Amino acid sequence: MAISRRDVLLGSAGAISAASFSFPAPAIAQSEPIKVGCLAAMTGPSSAPTIGFNRGVNFAVDAINNAGGVKGRKLELFMRDTQGDPTKAVNATQELISQAKVHAMWGPLNSGEALATTPIMGRAKMPNLHPCVVESLIDPVKFPNAFRIAPSNNQWDDAVRNYCLKILKVKKVAVIGDTTGYGVTAVGASVAAFKKDGAEVVYQANVDSTQPDMTPDMLRAKNAGAEAIVVWSVSTGMEARMFNVRATMGWDVPFVGHPSMASGELAGLVAKPENWKKVYAIGYKSCSYDGAGKLPPKSEDLVARLTKANIVLSDTLLWWVAGGMDCIELIAKAVGESGGTDSAGIIAYWNTLTTYPGYFGNYRFSPTEHNGYLTDEIVMSEASTAKNGTFALAPGYT
Amino acid sequence: MTALTTTPAQDETSGWRTALPHVVPFLGILVLALLLPFVSNDYWVLIGTRAAIYWVLISGLNLVVGFAGHLAIGYVALLTLGAYTTSVLVAGNVIPAVPVFAALPIAGLVGAVFGVIVGLPALRLRTFYFAMSTLGFATIVTQIALAWQSVTGGGIGITGPEFPAPFNTAWGFYGLCIAFAAVTTWMSANVARSRFGRALIAVRDAEVAAEATGISKPKMLIAIFLFAGALAAIAGGLFATLQTYITPDAFTFDLSVLFFIAILIGGRGSILGPLLGTIILTILPEIAAPLAAWSTFLYAVLLLVIVLVMPGGIAALLDFRNRRPLASNRSIVPRPAALAEIVRQRKGGKLLKLRGIELAFGNVKAIDGLDLDVTPAQIHGLIGPNGSGKTTTLNVISGYYAAKAGNMTLGDEALPPGQPTLRAPCGIARTFQTPRVIGEASVLQNVMIGGSIEGRATFVEAMLALPRNGEDERKLAAKARALLGVVGLETLADVRADRLQHSELRFIEIARALMLDPDFLLLDEPAAGLSNDEIERLAALIKAICARGTGVLLVEHHADLIFDICHQVTVLNLGRTLAAGTPAEIRVHKEVVSAYLGG
Amino acid sequence: MLASILASGLAAGAIYALVGVTYNTMFSTSRVMSFTAGQLAMLGGVFGSMFTLKLGLPIIVGFVLTLVCCAIIGIITEFVAVRPVLKSLDQHLYVLSTLAVALMIQQVAAIKWGTEPQPFPRLVGFGEAILDEKFWLPVAACAVTILCLEYLYRRTLVGRAFLAIAEDNFAARALGLPERNLRVASYALAGVIGGVAGYSGGQLLLAFFANGGLLNFYGFVPVALGGLGNNRGAIVGGLALGLFQQAANFLVGGIFSSVAVFTLFIVVLLAAPQGLFGAATARRV
Repeated sequence: MAISRRDVLLGSAGAISAASFSFPAPAIAQSEPIKVGCLAAMTGPSSAPTIGFNRGVNFAVDAINNAGGVKGRKLELFMRDTQGDPTKAVNATQELISQAKVHAMWGPLNSGEALATTPIMGRAKMPNLHPCVVESLIDPVKFPNAFRIAPSNNQWDDAVRNYCLKILKVKKVAVIGDTTGYGVTAVGASVAAFKKDGAEVVYQANVDSTQPDMTPDMLRAKNAGAEAIVVWSVSTGMEARMFNVRATMGWDVPFVGHPSMASGELAGLVAKPENWKKVYAIGYKSCSYDGAGKLPPKSEDLVARLTKANIVLSDTLLWWVAGGMDCIELIAKAVGESGGTDSAGIIAYWNTLTTYPGYFGNYRFSPTEHNGYLTDEIVMSEASTAKNGTFALAPGYT
Repeated sequence: MTALTTTPAQDETSGWRTALPHVVPFLGILVLALLLPFVSNDYWVLIGTRAAIYWVLISGLNLVVGFAGHLAIGYVALLTLGAYTTSVLVAGNVIPAVPVFAALPIAGLVGAVFGVIVGLPALRLRTFYFAMSTLGFATIVTQIALAWQSVTGGGIGITGPEFPAPFNTAWGFYGLCIAFAAVTTWMSANVARSRFGRALIAVRDAEVAAEATGISKPKMLIAIFLFAGALAAIAGGLFATLQTYITPDAFTFDLSVLFFIAILIGGRGSILGPLLGTIILTILPEIAAPLAAWSTFLYAVLLLVIVLVMPGGIAALLDFRNRRPLASNRSIVPRPAALAEIVRQRKGGKLLKLRGIELAFGNVKAIDGLDLDVTPAQIHGLIGPNGSGKTTTLNVISGYYAAKAGNMTLGDEALPPGQPTLRAPCGIARTFQTPRVIGEASVLQNVMIGGSIEGRATFVEAMLALPRNGEDERKLAAKARALLGVVGLETLADVRADRLQHSELRFIEIARALMLDPDFLLLDEPAAGLSNDEIERLAALIKAICARGTGVLLVEHHADLIFDICHQVTVLNLGRTLAAGTPAEIRVHKEVVSAYLGG
Repeated sequence: MLASILASGLAAGAIYALVGVTYNTMFSTSRVMSFTAGQLAMLGGVFGSMFTLKLGLPIIVGFVLTLVCCAIIGIITEFVAVRPVLKSLDQHLYVLSTLAVALMIQQVAAIKWGTEPQPFPRLVGFGEAILDEKFWLPVAACAVTILCLEYLYRRTLVGRAFLAIAEDNFAARALGLPERNLRVASYALAGVIGGVAGYSGGQLLLAFFANGGLLNFYGFVPVALGGLGNNRGAIVGGLALGLFQQAANFLVGGIFSSVAVFTLFIVVLLAAPQGLFGAATARRV
């Protein structure tokens, strides 16, 4: 199954169907739609990212189908709302595998769901692309079917740490997370890595995100001499309280950390708009604009296309939408290039991708590395500068 | 006389025949469950496995919620505990790895212990308080699972245990879970049908009467908390395997609500109902996928509808037998002569003696220095105007109130004050002014409650249906049927007690008291609400009971009945003895006549 | 540090105390503990944010509308979940019916309002740091509510009728008090108190659907501590709980503070089931 460089580089769906004649396939398979399962927490807590991803997924599917599908085969989406509940996710995964008989799956994003569903998909050898950041999900030996199309938590952590130590040039940090599973784990990993790099972690804490007052932790961080506060939480309420407390304390410390610090809701949650300044959240090169307000050219094109198709970006993030599109195009391409919906073929194709230029970033997969996203695509952005789901680069980047 | 059929003979074959209609639905569900893998795919096998695992937990919880009536809404805590215990043991990150079939029983033990700890508040508190404390526990467990990262993996969680072949495939594991579910159904049904199950319902619906029959609430509750906790933890171990990986966020409050509501939809005091409830609630969100987001809302609506419209749940819908109308012209015809076959003849016996009893409620002296002797084989009447302390005296004897001063002796031994559950073992039985029967249980079961302390089988024997329990059951049932014959209610043995008339309930209470074969019988206004004919029959019955050597203390307003059958009469006024003596003496006692009998 | 514990502890404690009073107000006329108490407080925050921020109404209009909506929810609770089960109070069906209503309220809030905490408007714009209005509004609201309740119960006819029913339901009915109407009124009053709790604590807790379950528990703890139906006990218990919880937050940190509160709760329940200021149980036989 040789693939030509040209096909890889041409990202459009039309190119995939143009290349189709060289792969004869049985007649039934030719007409049968390519079934893609999506495990998405569309309601319930932390459903915001999946809503963004879904816009990208739907947009890409429509684009490919309108261009004639993949070798004449249409893509068909099977959406399952998991509500962020691992139990429902396990049920939905098995249903997609055994009942809907999908050919490839996207998701889930939520860590509890992903941890529980990955072994089930592994057992069924189901080609799976997911954007969940949990490190242990990617293991080409245990789960040769699972590929990550987003940074892993370590990559996030590396980016945050590098920004603190190399660009902000601080020596003493405080690391604060919430008490959810994600928060506890991320704080632990982050603290260990900071120490390994020779930085001093002067304060670390996991705070109940419903706690009404963040003063105690902020005070302790300040008294300990923190020069930057690293935040690992998805709770915007808690983040807003921290920003507000920083202002009332008259403290000038930067916050660096989780992308949720750039969420739109924060605009309403902070007491004054300036409380949200000097907050640097994880962002991506492809979705960050420079001093002149310009995105990278490919992303400018993408935003133009999305705007034309009336996809709303103002209430979501561009990287979620782009990631969803990349996922569908990766599946479509794999079917086109491998000549069918056979799972081994799809997986084998993904394993050959040494450079795949996606919208969200460039991916690189190999049989031994399924963390496809490249660390140097991750940058810090100014949290309060959202514009169409994109952000301004944080200070210090050239 | 009545339109009902007569009691079937109690030999082995008919025992089976009466049991069969109860067993058939369970066998039917089991057969359907075993057929499932052959007619569906891995997905439905997964859903079936999930239902089976939930049922393992719910079958135990059912005894706590459905039978004992304790509103444990946070049982997901024990599922969490079991899931983590099993996973941690199998993963070997604390002690060397343990095989999964050894880890499950260990988890069961841990669950049993914590089941009791969570349940402890129920010994002192009911309902809302208990519900809140189980909720509190549910939160603690999740928080600890998050915080204790070195053991539980914190938020990243831990891999679920894997079973060895042949249970490592979807079908094999399904078979294993169905086997677990079948065994737990059998065990919980055994408990439910034994005297322990009846005692649980008695404590729930008629706690005071249960105490009088010697049922100890703490012992009963601890036994079922152990059982339910163990099953919940084992279910947790299976749940972890099914999920393949567990994180604290898998154990949602919604899951807890599902467990709880499955039981209430199924109906209290039933096993088939909650089983169907579990199956329905597991499948419902799957077939109504668009409703997924609204599923908890839907559960809540279901719960409200159940509470308001059909409090009996599915079980009440399926209870066809109790929809048959009862004969309206039935009458109670006791056969006191039959008493000789059931109650032993006593000779002599001890005296029940009260000396200088005093009791006050606030500043009101309810009893003020009362002396009273109840003699074996004699009927002692206790009369007096309302508020004179008659029922209070019975309550002091029964141990519901501890007297402030004075002492009670039975023969040479002191009766410990204020301990109602110790009266039945002393041979003191009683009835109540307002009959305290279990409306949802059959008449026969209500009577069998009276013999609870006579059972010799332990909880474990009952759970495993060992021979001694079968023997207990047969003896109690035979005795209860015979006593129903004595009080004239044998045709109503299988009818739910809340369908009976008030007068019939009075006779049920007498039959229940006689189950103890008591040395002393305390009757609190047994003739209230009875017709003249019935009072006459009651009189004959009381005389016959007395004739077997039992001492009877009779509180009554019907002066005729008292003077008719009593050997001794004590007249109370304002908590003091106004007069005491034979009926003939009392009849002419000046003060009594002017104050009470009204000439 | 100490000042911070006091400010946030008293603020949280005042909210818990008000939720406790909400429980008691419903309990007094119906002998029912309702799971909706915390949800009413949650709705106070959500409605407040909705009327003032989403719909842009003036603060005072938003406040009044919030209280009216909460009162209506209280009345609905009485009709749907309390009245039908009162005749069989001993079966404790109210635990289930009010749980059902509480779950419905929470689910509708989660789906219609959203599962992320949303901002609550600043009301008077008073104070900075530990003098910030968000800490002192709940305390003030708690004090005002108590004064109003004292006035209602001691000086007005309706209030005395409430007390009479709380004291002895049967006797009150025999005296010809409109027991049913008074009960509805008390549920409306409970709705208002819950609404005040949520509204005054809105800046502290934000408009967040999950606050309901949380306040249900933290509001019940003072009731358990202070004894059922005892408002003074609830106030003292609530403030003590708030201070204890915030002190635990400062001293042992997030995760273990909630464990500490739960442990305290269970220990108190086991040691003093009637609460520290509660009356003994009623007669059973």
